[in-house]
Amino acid sequence: MEFSGTSQQILSAREMGIVACTRCTKAWPMGTQTCARCGHKMVSRDFGSLQRVWAFWIMGLMCYVPANTYPMLQTRTLFQSDESTIVGGAVELAQHGAFGIAFIILLASVAIPLAKFWAIAFLAVSVKSRRATANHSRQIMYEVVEYIGRWSMIDIFVVAILSSLVQLNTLASINPGPASMFFALSVIFTMLSAQAFDSRMIWDEQAKDEDPS
Amino acid sequence: MRTPHKMTDTPPDVSIKSARKLFLSGASIVWIIPLLALFVALGVAWNSFNARGPQIFVEFEKGSGIKAGETELRFRDVTVGRVEEVGFSAGLGKVVATIRVDKDVAQFIDNSAAFWIIQPEVSAQGITGLSTVLSGVYIEGSWNEEIGDFEDRFVGADSAPLIRAGQTGLQIAFRTVGNGQLTDDAPILYRGIEVGRLGKAQIAPRGNFAIVEALIYDDHRDLVNTSTRFWDSSGFRLSIGPSGAEVDFESIATLIGGGVTFDTFVSGGDRVQDGTVFEIFPTKEEARSAVFNASAVDPLKLSVIFDENVSGLAVGAPVELSGLTIGEVESLSGIVDYNQFGDSRVRLNVTLSLQPARLGLPGAVSATSALAFLQDRVSNGLRARLASASLLTGGLKVELVTVADAPDAQLVAVDDALPVMPTTKNETSDAAATVEGVFSRINNLPIEELLNSAIGLMNSAQMLIGSDEIQQTPRDVRTLINEVTGLVSSDSVRNIPVSLNATLSRVETLVATLEQEQMAKRLMEAVDAVSGAADAFSTSTEGVPELIAEMQTVAAKAGEIELQQLVDELTAVTRSADAVIGTPDAIALPGSLKNALDELNYTLQELREGGAVENVNQTLASARNAADNIAVSAKDLPQIVDRLSTLFDQASRTIEGYNQGDQISRTAQNTLRDIQKAADALASLARTIERNPNSLLLGR
Repeated sequence: MEFSGTSQQILSAREMGIVACTRCTKAWPMGTQTCARCGHKMVSRDFGSLQRVWAFWIMGLMCYVPANTYPMLQTRTLFQSDESTIVGGAVELAQHGAFGIAFIILLASVAIPLAKFWAIAFLAVSVKSRRATANHSRQIMYEVVEYIGRWSMIDIFVVAILSSLVQLNTLASINPGPASMFFALSVIFTMLSAQAFDSRMIWDEQAKDEDPS
Repeated sequence: MRTPHKMTDTPPDVSIKSARKLFLSGASIVWIIPLLALFVALGVAWNSFNARGPQIFVEFEKGSGIKAGETELRFRDVTVGRVEEVGFSAGLGKVVATIRVDKDVAQFIDNSAAFWIIQPEVSAQGITGLSTVLSGVYIEGSWNEEIGDFEDRFVGADSAPLIRAGQTGLQIAFRTVGNGQLTDDAPILYRGIEVGRLGKAQIAPRGNFAIVEALIYDDHRDLVNTSTRFWDSSGFRLSIGPSGAEVDFESIATLIGGGVTFDTFVSGGDRVQDGTVFEIFPTKEEARSAVFNASAVDPLKLSVIFDENVSGLAVGAPVELSGLTIGEVESLSGIVDYNQFGDSRVRLNVTLSLQPARLGLPGAVSATSALAFLQDRVSNGLRARLASASLLTGGLKVELVTVADAPDAQLVAVDDALPVMPTTKNETSDAAATVEGVFSRINNLPIEELLNSAIGLMNSAQMLIGSDEIQQTPRDVRTLINEVTGLVSSDSVRNIPVSLNATLSRVETLVATLEQEQMAKRLMEAVDAVSGAADAFSTSTEGVPELIAEMQTVAAKAGEIELQQLVDELTAVTRSADAVIGTPDAIALPGSLKNALDELNYTLQELREGGAVENVNQTLASARNAADNIAVSAKDLPQIVDRLSTLFDQASRTIEGYNQGDQISRTAQNTLRDIQKAADALASLARTIERNPNSLLLGR
């Protein structure tokens, strides 16, 4: 997406009486029900999107709690079986001196998801309130959240790879813990939540600011 | 949902009444998902909370490897809970394990519950808790099967309790005053099978005995009754008695870890209730005798006066009736009573204490009935005597024996004195002397000389066997046998029977001829004739005495010839041959030997077929006859000699008278020379016979 100039100069399509197809991006006059090119249903603003954002956001948060309380990995060796949560595993790694890996884990599994929750919530709230930050920054924030969301799945990949590689029967085996499923769900729901957000609403506040009706 | 937007043209002037908004009309259907998730989560949470059992708190002396979140609580080896927290009691006095118990089990945990830690343990009874080496310790719980009032505070035991709740069995206790090795958890054995187990031994509060709980398993509780006596079977016992040395131990486990065994020596015990206390005796014998000592009946006291005052009887010596100990010697004293015994010798006065129970009397057991029984037996000849109790120590015992022809006596109590048991002759052997004698005889045995000789013999035998000559003997023997084989198979030997037959025939003929000719008579006649002739002659008599001597020798030799000797020598030769053939080395030469034997067999068969044996027998008989005749003839020889000497005297005188008659003298000399020749031939024959008696038989 291109940005040009400051936000003050940006005209929204809605203000120009145009609605763009979200699938094929063709612009139509306001009021067009379906895109004549691709047949996609067209709305200028999806006001139900906020509800979906919040619903998925809550789901994601609900899943994030057990994802952190339950063990992520079950490591069984000959003599003992070890279960560690995400934070617990990172702390353990840090105690063993692997600060780098601990930092990565904490960043990818704790900091980024939490930041995502915060960012989505902020965006969803800010479209309703006036004291929001610059529209441009919020747009960037939205882009980043959407872009970075899929990378949170890296945790799940690590767990999947480990548990498929380390299966030595009685000697040692690694199995995914219940937290991995919840973590995956949490990531999926936050991604859905971010996708459900209609970013065009960011600019409506600007319009209200500029010309309050 | 359609978004309303402003319409600028043709506003219809309709009074707009805003539609009543439904509460959830604006809600998206997507809210169902979080709501569903919420309900599921709440349901799961409530479910798990609801299924969660209560917490109990168990105090232990030591943590012993309990870990929060890991250590399990098990009941009958099934996990029923988990330690959630390990902490300390107030003041750090104890370790408190907080255990979350499964809800369905929790209701059974009442005041019957006991908890202890299972950890690996190596003891004499074996290794237990081995699985916990890898898995870590766990807490074992035990409670009965009845639902009781829930309790949540317990004091854990430091070892598994002997009697677990809900376990059936006879619960008894043991007392012991001895220094038995009562080991915790030692087995109770009966006929070598574990029928119970001891608990933890404790010292009684006053410190005068040790007490230990025990459990007889339910299957075996009928083995124990009030007459049962227990004894310590731990360790081993070495006893040396009349039957020899004996080592006695129950099992290796009891040898190391101790154990208790028991037996019921008499019948008629009552059923034992839980909580009965038994005593543990050090040995089986003490346990056995304790059965009788325990009888509540007063002992029967008897007095016995022995004429002989023999040392060796001591207080406590057994009193036996038919080999069964029925009591013991209670006291010993000397007694001198001139009026009673008629002299002033010191006699041995023994007081016996008999246990009426041991007599096995029917009906009520009492001293009175025992006395009545003994009175009856005494009138039938029961007497007391001293007997040796132990050969080695020389101890004595009192024996009650029935004497067949005993003088009449009664067992009666005179006044207040004890009834006096009549005695009979003691049967004490001077054991010490006997044993000493045996030992001295053993001492006197020339064992050392015997050993020296034996060693010498062994050495010589070894040297002999090791010598080259002996080792070469087999070869020589083989050569010899080969030669014998060759010899036996040779034609000349095969022809022996034929020759033998011929020879024997000739010998027979010869002997017959000898008989017929009756040489002695003829000799006499000849001598008579010579004597007649001698009257006319005179000649030298040199050589005649020698001739006579030789003839006497011949006669003696002839008398001495005995076939028996020949047979003996032959036997000896045969034995020697046997010995040679019997040597192990000779056995290695079966081929040659078999051939030789075959040949010998063949030859013997021929001998038998040729009638040689019969002939030999006949010949031997004839030879004996001949020899007899010769002996008879020999008796006449002195007469002959006398006559000859007379003859020679006359002849010498005659010859002196007729010194000049050369013609006659020459004739006489010729005659004498002939006689001399005959005598020489006879002497030669005699020498030949002497050298080789066989020549007479073989005709050579």
